[in-house]
Amino acid sequence: MFTIDLMSRTPIYEQIYMKIIELIIRGELNENDQIPSVRNLAKETGVNPNTVSKAYQELERNGVIHSLPGRGSFISKPNEQILKEFIFNDFDNVVKEAIVNGVDSQQLKERIDIIERKQRGEKK
Amino acid sequence: MIELKQLTKHFEKFTALKNVDLKIETGTAFGLLGSNGAGKSTIMRLLSGIYRADSGEALIDGENVYDNVAVKQRVFFIDDETVQFSGYTLNKLKEYYKSYYPQFSDEIFDKLRRKLSLPLDKKIGNFSKGMKRQAIVIIGLASCTDYLFLDETFDGLDPTMRVIVKSMLVDAILDRKVTAIISSHNLREINELCDHAALLHNGRLVLSQDIDSLKGEFHKMQLVFRPDENGKEVEYTRDDIESIGIDVLHFEKTQRVYRIVAKGDEETLKAAFAAKRPLVLDVIPLTLEEVFIYELEVLGYDCSEINN
Repeated sequence: MFTIDLMSRTPIYEQIYMKIIELIIRGELNENDQIPSVRNLAKETGVNPNTVSKAYQELERNGVIHSLPGRGSFISKPNEQILKEFIFNDFDNVVKEAIVNGVDSQQLKERIDIIERKQRGEKK
Repeated sequence: MIELKQLTKHFEKFTALKNVDLKIETGTAFGLLGSNGAGKSTIMRLLSGIYRADSGEALIDGENVYDNVAVKQRVFFIDDETVQFSGYTLNKLKEYYKSYYPQFSDEIFDKLRRKLSLPLDKKIGNFSKGMKRQAIVIIGLASCTDYLFLDETFDGLDPTMRVIVKSMLVDAILDRKVTAIISSHNLREINELCDHAALLHNGRLVLSQDIDSLKGEFHKMQLVFRPDENGKEVEYTRDDIESIGIDVLHFEKTQRVYRIVAKGDEETLKAAFAAKRPLVLDVIPLTLEEVFIYELEVLGYDCSEINN
């Protein structure tokens, strides 16, 4: 389930944090699903358990997961705010890139409209 | 907790360590990085009570290690030179260490020995290099000490053995709050295994930090500046960049493109350059390997002279 990119410039705990949120967004992890224990995830990925634990603490602090004493960690009720932030993070980066490369906001808006229409069309 | 206070060690005229101050919290996996002769092994030997410091202190939970049996029983140092008992069988070697480490676990020893199918009754002297190393690693893990020092141990282990040792370390850190110091030339391994790391050079401490936060503190930048009103190219030197308050580790210019490596978080660096209104300003964090290379470059240890 988890792969950690050791050569990545993103800190390992952040990679774990993002991965859990990504799995929630993709619907692979749902409310009340249990996630691997710190021990198992550390062994599976080869990552230091303190680093895994740091990611879990951060997830818990932001209400993404909760732990039940003696039972483990579970996915909490999805927090819209956090999930949106996650999506916007990628969006913001792409928009920044586009602006640097000379795309103006009008063009970006038109693009968004096209994407939205396509998405809606497909669903119907 | 491990504390080094102004730790200094000479070997005749050679200074192996000079005024090193370092703290290692209990339960951390601490990576020691540095070029050959930087002082990594010397630190481990001082913390194992093999060497006596010339000045300063090497403390484990507040106590000096040298000549202190009670503390030394809580420390296991795995290095290549540990196996000097070539006339011993593995069984005898185990009994030897068991007499020294009261908390030695036969269960862990047997489990690992069987997994690696190491013979108990064969003399260590007849073991292959890899088997000798495996033998001392399993004795080290089975000794169940609070402190475990691995001096380039991983560099000589095969992939299966690495997985076994890593997994044992995870258990030891979670269950017993073991503090591990790991030296390696493999930065990927340190990055993965350790939560903290220190970089040594010529016996001095260059930096010591949480690995994840280390990554956000060094950046590689690519810059292109706007020409002035007359369309003329604006030239900047390394000094110019440093004068706007940037801690430059590496400076390079080809045509109009500047490649600068600097200390500082992304926002601060971007803000510092904002006044110069660059046309292009890409800021990417360094990998651990790059931090290592550029930090040493500043200290005059780099590969550029050899390459050129």
